[in-house]
Amino acid sequence: MNIAEFALGGAIFVGVSAALIAVAAPSGPRPIVAGLGTALTGALGVTAGSGVLAGQRVSVARPDVLPLFGTSFELDSLGAVFIIVIGGVAVAAGVYGIAYAPNGVRSRTTQSMLPLFVVSMLLVPMAASVGTLFLCWELMAATSLVLVLTEHRRPEVLVAGQWYAVMTHLGFFLAMIGLFLFAASAAGDTFAELRDAGPSLSPTVSGLIFVLMLAGFGSKAGIVPLHAWLPRAHPEAPSHVSALMSAAMVNLGIYGIVRVGFDLFGGGPQWWWLLAITLGAISAVYGILQAAVNTDLKRLLGYSTTENMGLVLVAVGAAGLFASQGNDVLAALALTAAFLHVVNHSAFKTLLFLAAGSLLHATGTRDLDELGGLRKTMPVTTATFGWGALAASALPPGTAFVSEWLLLQSLIHGLPPQGVADAIVLPVTVAAVALTAGLSIATFVKAFGIGFLARPRSVMAERATESPFPMLVAISIAGLTSGMLALMPSAALPATGDVATALLDADAAVAGTVHLRLVGASGMLSPLMLTVTLIVAAAITVAAVRTLAARRRRVGARLWDCGAGPMPARTEYTATSFAEPLQRVFDDVVQPDHNVDVDHYEESRYLVRTIEYRRRVPDRIEASLYGPIVAAVAWFGRVATRLAPGSIHRYLGYGFYTVCGALILLVLQR
Amino acid sequence: MLSLWRKIIRTGRVVEPAEPRPAEGAAVAELDGSAQVRHVDAGSCNGCEVEIASAFGPVYDAEQYGTRLVASPRHADALLVTGPVTRNMAEPLRRTYEAVSEPKAVVAVGDCARNCGVFADAYGVAGAVSDVVPVDVEISGCPPRPDEIVEGLRKLTGR
Repeated sequence: MNIAEFALGGAIFVGVSAALIAVAAPSGPRPIVAGLGTALTGALGVTAGSGVLAGQRVSVARPDVLPLFGTSFELDSLGAVFIIVIGGVAVAAGVYGIAYAPNGVRSRTTQSMLPLFVVSMLLVPMAASVGTLFLCWELMAATSLVLVLTEHRRPEVLVAGQWYAVMTHLGFFLAMIGLFLFAASAAGDTFAELRDAGPSLSPTVSGLIFVLMLAGFGSKAGIVPLHAWLPRAHPEAPSHVSALMSAAMVNLGIYGIVRVGFDLFGGGPQWWWLLAITLGAISAVYGILQAAVNTDLKRLLGYSTTENMGLVLVAVGAAGLFASQGNDVLAALALTAAFLHVVNHSAFKTLLFLAAGSLLHATGTRDLDELGGLRKTMPVTTATFGWGALAASALPPGTAFVSEWLLLQSLIHGLPPQGVADAIVLPVTVAAVALTAGLSIATFVKAFGIGFLARPRSVMAERATESPFPMLVAISIAGLTSGMLALMPSAALPATGDVATALLDADAAVAGTVHLRLVGASGMLSPLMLTVTLIVAAAITVAAVRTLAARRRRVGARLWDCGAGPMPARTEYTATSFAEPLQRVFDDVVQPDHNVDVDHYEESRYLVRTIEYRRRVPDRIEASLYGPIVAAVAWFGRVATRLAPGSIHRYLGYGFYTVCGALILLVLQR
Repeated sequence: MLSLWRKIIRTGRVVEPAEPRPAEGAAVAELDGSAQVRHVDAGSCNGCEVEIASAFGPVYDAEQYGTRLVASPRHADALLVTGPVTRNMAEPLRRTYEAVSEPKAVVAVGDCARNCGVFADAYGVAGAVSDVVPVDVEISGCPPRPDEIVEGLRKLTGR
């Protein structure tokens, strides 16, 4: 038994026993048990993943566990990358969970589900057969659903839970049809058999399978238009669960697409990947646009997840496209960018969700319009969230910058395109990625500037106090990881690059330790040097201003506030007003609802008593796409009650006629 | 665009001929030749505002004498105060005066600003402008004519 197998066995054992102990433990130490168990499970997961990347093999087949199809697990390097990511997020989330235990989160169900959720996520990338994959997938969906419903007494949580339950099972259903179709055509359900049969399937069947998989796994990754559950469920879950879902679970959607597309099918025709790029680009732009106009901090982060998964899907699609054209170097570059962005996104999104949770813990609100002024009272949270916002906004020296740079390099080097479809899709995608980067800066400037700086906009924000120590430790772990990924991406690059090249049978696309050099295409980047230069330049500027300005006499003066001051916090910029210009530019896409109510005095219509302005930015795709479906289902639900009037005779009749129908069908088929 | 040019050519110069420059020179020596002016309505009936607007219009064109209206006391050299100073405006006027950088001047425009005019002893009035901030130039009239305002402003710049 090697280290990886030992660590994986340990992870499952620790996770399950932490869940059992959490059930038995009294409510005081319960979060500690569950949190430590989760963190340890995650750490063991990271160990196992690292072991596999170092060349160890993990392979377990238990035909007796599940009737008919048994279970088989095998961890290869692709799965190992995702396991390391999940493990890393779980460490931070677990440590955070030790102290993050407001009412409701303390309950037995929630605390015991947390380690189980991590275990089930760790199992998904290990599954080596269709049956095992779906068993683990469903386990993951069920445990996360229970966690989303933690604060089930609030009506919005119930709604979010319903959306999540329905959509996650819809995705599961689509992916299941796809994979069962695949397994039926391959006459076997282990991935090894599928891998053998994949390339020889007829294009129609494999195309159908891929589209079903893309929809099924894409819904898990929050790809538009199947994203509707994500901005609902992620904000309503407790924050460390949000971090686990948003930074670890959504990645598994990408994992599924890569596993099926690259590993099992070994690449595919061009149109598959053009479809993936298009969906990814739409998700990226739409996600970040919704994030830019949202004022609910956690919802904003949820939409940002949709954006980042969209970017990853663009990179995956680009890799497939280049591979189908025989350009393996660029394909490896794009796939490396995809994996690196998965890793980076997980790091900074964990940080952001945990910091948002700390904010929620301290103020009790997620509404940016009621926050602000937290720099003095919550210095650690403010500093870490500020770093996270920079990391997420695709600017150097942020974390997302490196992977988005790699993605853009691969897309730009893909020009000049081969064929008409490429010629349209590739340049538009480059533009979409650039637009996404720009909008993400606006979004995170808003989230950080309005949420943390200036003066408190409400009493809750004024009374905020810094969160307990373990929460700050967890946030700092995530912050340090994302900082390391930003400055030394070469720490994560060989691993992600090797996985990409192994999948594509290509040469390494990115090399170098301090400088990142593209192999086979021109391009070089050194995040560390860039950061050092930025810091030196900033220091010189500050020093120059200090020395030059110090010569003049300084005069203290009152802030000019039109003579009427002091200005109240009401006069500050709010998240709504900050996003207003953007919302106006993208009016046709966002289509906000405005409502102005003016209340007059009875004596005269010229004397205004109150003015109430309400603005809501509903998700238009959700409203126009899901509205009719939901209405149709509700209608069917009402009508279908006529089928079940309560008469036992009728129910027996149903059974009788069904059996007759089945027999007739069988006779006819012979 | 063409019609605008036509209009300009057809209209020609409408500005009043310049009077001789004031004998005593600039009211504040450092402002010699140029004064950025911030207008403060301390409680005026808006009669003076109408006249100030035409003083800076094309006919009287106060800007040719080096005065210019600006949007903040932080940009200004001088204040142009109209109206009796009401209780609500006394403190803001004082703060506005403090916000103007040194050297600074105050012009009281109209009878109300000089001695409260018809509003003298009214319950909402804190006093004349000179009761609140030091006044350098006074322009009388209710309201003063635009040419009188221009004359007063020229005392400020000495041009």
